[in-house]
Amino acid sequence: MQRRSLFLIGVSLALVLGGAVSAPAAQTVWSGLVMANNVAQPDAIPPELQRIQGTLKALFGYNQFKLIGQSQKTLATGAEDWLASSKYFSLHVDSKGETPAGYLLNLKLFQEKNMLLETEAKLSKASPLVIKGPQVGDGQLLFVLVVQ
Amino acid sequence: MKTFEEKWTAWLDGELSGDELSQFEASLPDKAAAEQEKRDAKKLGAFLKEQLQGRAMGNEEFFHHQLRERIAGDARAENVPEKAGAKPSLWPLGRLIWAGATSLAIFLVCAVFVMREKSPNDQSQYLTQILNARVDPAVSPNATISMFEANEEKVTVLWVEGLQSLPSEYATK
Repeated sequence: MQRRSLFLIGVSLALVLGGAVSAPAAQTVWSGLVMANNVAQPDAIPPELQRIQGTLKALFGYNQFKLIGQSQKTLATGAEDWLASSKYFSLHVDSKGETPAGYLLNLKLFQEKNMLLETEAKLSKASPLVIKGPQVGDGQLLFVLVVQ
Repeated sequence: MKTFEEKWTAWLDGELSGDELSQFEASLPDKAAAEQEKRDAKKLGAFLKEQLQGRAMGNEEFFHHQLRERIAGDARAENVPEKAGAKPSLWPLGRLIWAGATSLAIFLVCAVFVMREKSPNDQSQYLTQILNARVDPAVSPNATISMFEANEEKVTVLWVEGLQSLPSEYATK
């Protein structure tokens, strides 16, 4: 009887502890190279950008946003790296680990082999990151990261 | 058949008699020395008996009473579980449940405090933060960096101005 009580209390504690300290579920980080420009008949905005299309249009003044490269990475440990690239540009993402609100990332933007920009950011799950890249033709290159 | 040592010990103790005594004394090589040794042994025995006598107990009755009480107490302790037919237990069930519930409550209080500390309570923690940013001055000597937040959709923007403009073929997938 007492052994059973001890066992039940132990199981309860284990369940409570397990629930309280369990690791968060794996998240997916979407990284995209986006070409923004103005056209008469704009294509539909990619689904990954729909939640921020208002900000993109207001900030940059373009009506079309097309993906020229993208990558979707599911982070298991929070310390992984990956690459999103187009023919001439690439975005190297090195996740340094998880923070309470998201992930600590080291980002490097390359134009072919030249590094244009390096930055460290705490990417929040609730807050996408947009990086303004170089002017390309009559448009603008953007780099976007979103925790999905 | 006794050995010489046994006969010697018996002679020293005065336990030989008759023919055995006379035969043993005749076999002694130096009877005078043996007699001297016998006297010395008797003296030593008398001395030891006198010195090693136990001390007389002053409170003998009290000591015995205490001893009986202790024995009776031990016997009662041994008999109680057998009479009751119960197993010896660490804690009774009620106390065990209370202890478990108390531990659980303490843990939950601690967990709430820890989780409250961990949860981001500042709005800025919900937004992406740029910790640092740099451009390669060799590639983009006139580039400047600024950062801001577009709060409507919680977008963090890293605005890089002055990068070299490129022809439209660079927009290729």
